[in-house]
Amino acid sequence: MANETDNSNDKELVGLLAQFDDPTSLLAACNNAREAGYKKMDAFTPFPVHGIDPALGIKRSFLPFIVLAVALGAVCVGLGMQFYTNGGEIGGVSTDQSPIFPGYQFLISGKPHFSLPANIPVTFEVIVLSSAFATFFGMWIINKLPRLSNPLHRVSRFKRVTNDKFFLMLEAKDEKFDKSDSEAELNQWGAVAIEEVNQDLTDTKLPAWMAPMALIGALLLLIPPVAIFSAYGATNTKPRLHVVPDMDWQHKFKTQVLSPNVSDPDTPEYLFANRRAMRQPVEGSVRFGSLETDSEMFRGIKKDFANASMTVGMKKSMLASTGPQDEEENLDQWITGFPEGFEVNETTLARGKERFNIYCSVCHGYAGNGDGLVNQRAVALAANGQATWTAAKSLHDAVVKDASKNPTGRIYDTITNGRNNMGPYKDQIPVADRWAIVAYVKALQETGITPVGADAAAEAEAATEAEAPELEAAEEEKEE
Amino acid sequence: MHETRPAKITSPIVDLGGAHVKLMPLALIVGAVGVGLAYALSQFQLQRFSYIYLVNFAFVLTMCIGSLFFVTISHLTRAGWNVTLRRIAELYAQCLPVLFILFLPILIPLLLSSDGLYVWNQGGWSMTHATNDLKDTVANLPLADRPPLEQMKAAYLNKGFFAIRWVIYFCIWGGMATFFLRTSLKQDTTGDKKLTSWMQAFSAPAMILFAASIVFSSMDLLMSLEPLWFSTMFPVYFFAGSVLSSLALITLTSLNLQRSGRITDEVTTEHYHDMGKLMFGFVVFWGYIAFSQFMLIWYANIPEETFWYEYRMDLENGWGILSIILLVGHLFVPFLFMMGRTMRRNKNLMFIATIYLLVMHWIDLYWLVMPQYARAGGEIGFGFMSVLADLACTVGIIGLFMGIFFLVTRDKPLVTLQDPRLGEALNHEVH
Amino acid sequence: MATTVDPKQLDNTLDDPADRSPLVLGGLNYEGVTDTACGVWDAERPPMIWWVLLLIALSLLGLLGACVNHLLMSGTGVWGNNNPVYWGWPIVNFVFWVGIGHAGTLISAILFLFRQNWRTSINRAAEAMTIFAVVCAGLFPGVHIGRVWVFYWLFPIPTEHLAMWPNFRSPLLWDVFAVSTYATVSLLFWYMGMVPDIATFRDRTRSKIGKFIYGILSLGWTGSSRAWHHYEIAYTILAALATPLVLSVHTIVSFDFAVSQLPGWHTTIFPPYFVAGAIFSGFAMVVTLLVPARKLCGLENLITIRHLENMNKIIMATGLMVGMAYGIEFFMAWYSGVEFEQFALSNRAFGNYWWAYWIMVSCNVLAPQVFWIKWCRTTPWFMVIVCIFVNIGMWFERFVITITSLSRDFVPSSWAYFHPTWVDISMLVGSFGLFFTLFLMFCRFLPVIAMAEVKSIMPMEDGH
Repeated sequence: MANETDNSNDKELVGLLAQFDDPTSLLAACNNAREAGYKKMDAFTPFPVHGIDPALGIKRSFLPFIVLAVALGAVCVGLGMQFYTNGGEIGGVSTDQSPIFPGYQFLISGKPHFSLPANIPVTFEVIVLSSAFATFFGMWIINKLPRLSNPLHRVSRFKRVTNDKFFLMLEAKDEKFDKSDSEAELNQWGAVAIEEVNQDLTDTKLPAWMAPMALIGALLLLIPPVAIFSAYGATNTKPRLHVVPDMDWQHKFKTQVLSPNVSDPDTPEYLFANRRAMRQPVEGSVRFGSLETDSEMFRGIKKDFANASMTVGMKKSMLASTGPQDEEENLDQWITGFPEGFEVNETTLARGKERFNIYCSVCHGYAGNGDGLVNQRAVALAANGQATWTAAKSLHDAVVKDASKNPTGRIYDTITNGRNNMGPYKDQIPVADRWAIVAYVKALQETGITPVGADAAAEAEAATEAEAPELEAAEEEKEE
Repeated sequence: MHETRPAKITSPIVDLGGAHVKLMPLALIVGAVGVGLAYALSQFQLQRFSYIYLVNFAFVLTMCIGSLFFVTISHLTRAGWNVTLRRIAELYAQCLPVLFILFLPILIPLLLSSDGLYVWNQGGWSMTHATNDLKDTVANLPLADRPPLEQMKAAYLNKGFFAIRWVIYFCIWGGMATFFLRTSLKQDTTGDKKLTSWMQAFSAPAMILFAASIVFSSMDLLMSLEPLWFSTMFPVYFFAGSVLSSLALITLTSLNLQRSGRITDEVTTEHYHDMGKLMFGFVVFWGYIAFSQFMLIWYANIPEETFWYEYRMDLENGWGILSIILLVGHLFVPFLFMMGRTMRRNKNLMFIATIYLLVMHWIDLYWLVMPQYARAGGEIGFGFMSVLADLACTVGIIGLFMGIFFLVTRDKPLVTLQDPRLGEALNHEVH
Repeated sequence: MATTVDPKQLDNTLDDPADRSPLVLGGLNYEGVTDTACGVWDAERPPMIWWVLLLIALSLLGLLGACVNHLLMSGTGVWGNNNPVYWGWPIVNFVFWVGIGHAGTLISAILFLFRQNWRTSINRAAEAMTIFAVVCAGLFPGVHIGRVWVFYWLFPIPTEHLAMWPNFRSPLLWDVFAVSTYATVSLLFWYMGMVPDIATFRDRTRSKIGKFIYGILSLGWTGSSRAWHHYEIAYTILAALATPLVLSVHTIVSFDFAVSQLPGWHTTIFPPYFVAGAIFSGFAMVVTLLVPARKLCGLENLITIRHLENMNKIIMATGLMVGMAYGIEFFMAWYSGVEFEQFALSNRAFGNYWWAYWIMVSCNVLAPQVFWIKWCRTTPWFMVIVCIFVNIGMWFERFVITITSLSRDFVPSSWAYFHPTWVDISMLVGSFGLFFTLFLMFCRFLPVIAMAEVKSIMPMEDGH
């Protein structure tokens, strides 16, 4: 063994390397070495030589089991990821409760949010990817590679190992190893050449510059993740960068705007004859599922009156500013209850409340007192003469509350087609939701709560109720 | 290095050694009794009997077709390792021409205009929601007055053309099988290397014919049970099941022959290891094809196709449970079971695995066929009698099939004796 | 010196059932294999033709870069994609390149599992080609998303700004996972296979930079038998993983089309049919590349005529499979009795795009049939011509599927004829520039032949 204090001998013998010229003689030598009792030895070959594993006593690799374990884990990860991200509705969602899983609930081709068949491909890919990583990295780790320094590479003869020569190394650590005896044995087994492999102990230390360089490198590598992490969730007040301006500001007409002539803006010709930017459906065409035959459901009018032409509201919205608006209306035509196919229950009332709070409360107020924020502001402006405004009605107003004057069908019609200053909501609110709002309005009226300060609003309303010019007639124009 | 074995057959017994003289009549008798009993247990209802008969006929047919594929692909790829197993496959393939006799109970009622099995044989099949009276009326109408879809499909789905096609299929299969077995037997005596080249040259065009026959025969035999349904993938599904079952059958046969002291030296653990790998591969392939077919139909969800799966996925009518059994039993269980190297190198475990795979293949065919009987209005019933009838029919047909195998084999060698690649097979080693 | 030369040494396409033909010719021993395989790399400077080819490839690459820049600055409107053909050339090119990218892994993995020894000479180049083709393929959907700078939205990364997740029920997202998995695994597989050969380079190189780079890349490989043992098992596992992966990738690409309800797209044969087509086109591309490459690099004794012949046989077989799928599609369209299906298929063959369909059929089904004749499948220049036809045909196959079906959808009023723009055409041409640039670099700087594997299938040398 080398003496570390002796400068002339600061090498440590690692083993004896014997060269063979063909796999057959190497194999024979390996078998001889094993029979001679060597345990710590290794062969080095340009390609895998079959039959050498038993000769060297190499046990079968346990790599497959590592990969299997990783693969089974990947099944869970793959499915779990998709369940977590897409399976949003699982775990119970109600209007008051946020979902347990923060999934983004979008419906794709009628498939359930978490639909196993559709999740198989990605799960499969996750399994394959993880297993491949496990195989690749597992193999290098088991082989203790990468290894940047190896005394074998200092033997110049050893360069042929990746070309055409075969080597057997008897390690010095082996109990049976004895330099001269082993050398004799190797010669006897047909070694072409024998070399000592020495570990040079003088250069086992890292160069001095390496550690600080590595530290600096590691610190530099930390910058991107830190930058990303600090930006994560932060707000930014600067306008965003527009990489493709003509994608962010596209040349286009919105659906209901007047469309100038694209090719020559100066000529008063329009894209289409009716001056719209978008075509309308062919006259008489009915959208799929929109043949609204049930007059009670869709118009709030009793079946007997189904042939009556139009309700006042409809005429109003169609004729806009031009036609008469105070035509007599037949109060008998309205249904007084709810149509078949709409059930008043807790769910629909909750829905009605939600929709009411979204669409109606801005003017009518959350309690239906006509004290919505928009109304308050508009009334204030109107009082200064800065605007004309018909104050929103309190739903607890006696006339409004009177079921004979305002049957449910009429309330429905009001939501649908608007009345007086109020615009139509039929495009914003689906039929079932309108009935839900009607139900909620009736419920509000039943409870009849009139909070403090409602009187002022009621007075203002009474003063201006009769008729007032429309605040924005043009806005109504869009409904036909 | 391991020493190289000479390319010589060393097993003491390489043929049935006279065992077939006793076994063949026994198998045939068991078969005939089984099938007869099944018919009786089905209360002499031809329709009920036909369906379970078709399941079992398809079972033996697919195994033989797969064996023929095994032989052809071996020649096509110049495979050397499986030379010692090829004869068993050749013998099973040679059963194909004889199987035509077993096909007659399906063909003859069809030619007599029965729509017991193939509903397209009489009019009115496309009117799924019509009353029976209406269907009966339409059934007796001339072709020109039937629904347009039926008129169109009648150009392909008619009894005459069906019979002609099946004669052609059996000619193709029988011709190929006979050629391969005869040439191979000839080589046993002469040892002529040219015969191998000749079989290889033959295998390429034969494979094309074989593929075409698989495509149309699978559609005729199983897909046209539901003439409204169509899937371009179906022939591949049929093919995957065929090859898987034949690999299992060849391995099982070889294991059994070795247990009885035959061809002991020629088929080694290495061969079983490779057969195990192939079976594993085809389990995965079957799963891949089955999943892809299901996936595309499930996802697109158009009524023309979906109804077929919808019926089979329905948990309430019971077929959904069978579908789950099939998914787990035909894919997941064998996938995990056959993954390991230890299992493939253990003859006892391989024995269990092959039987298991054959059972699963049978269930696969049952799942393809029997729901059609239920859809056609039949009552399957999982009562004692009907299960017994199914079992009797299965045992019967397998008995007949074994009888045919012994009849074909007789005293032919069970392993190729002088194949030029014999040495390669005998020294085969899995790395 | 009265030795008789084995006739199979002169022509290794001769078949003797009793004796396998040699796969390494010229009497090369282990050292000879190393020297031959390292020929181009050993040379001081590459041959002139290499520079010429690189120049051409680089100029095409420049064209691609300019087009991508133009596209990103202007938006996807510069392509011909428009109502109703929303999927135009980009998806055609994507499927075309992904298909080509299947051959490498197939040769390395499936042929490895089936112990087809002849794969060893060609697998390295084929794997490299796979990776380069996948790079080309990934480019098209990559730029097709429009705002490429937010590409990471495709992955399930929690972002507060977006506040949503990718939709895992969409085949397009499966594609993202499949193609990126495939690219990664192919790269691992390729690199792992290359490590022993990079070690050869490390031990041969005389330049200091070479020593450093190849030294790092070879990870300290010594060829230890213990390392080989784990290495071989890892290689087998990777092959076993890559095999279903190859199938899954093109299967998922086919799902993009087949899960829809569009006639001509929705048919269940698509998964295996796409996979067969991918193998078909990939092998054709390998032959197209290897015939000139073996000449250029002097590898005739390693990539022998027999290798090429085997490749051509597979091309013929897969060509027949693809042809059979065409036939089944037609038959099933008729058999289904669904008038839309019937229309879509007859429109394919006899409609506006009849020319594309018949180019496809003649290139894919008819052209490879010449390989029944031995002369055709053993004559290098001839097989290159056939293989180029096959590649053209396979491009047209994707064109036919994508464009004809889309251009005739369910609403006759929106029927239209697709016109590619110059950007479409330049990007297709330019993608070849990218592909060839990478391939030429590979030929010069990395081991083209899997030397260790070739040596392992050589018959043992006599120990004299």
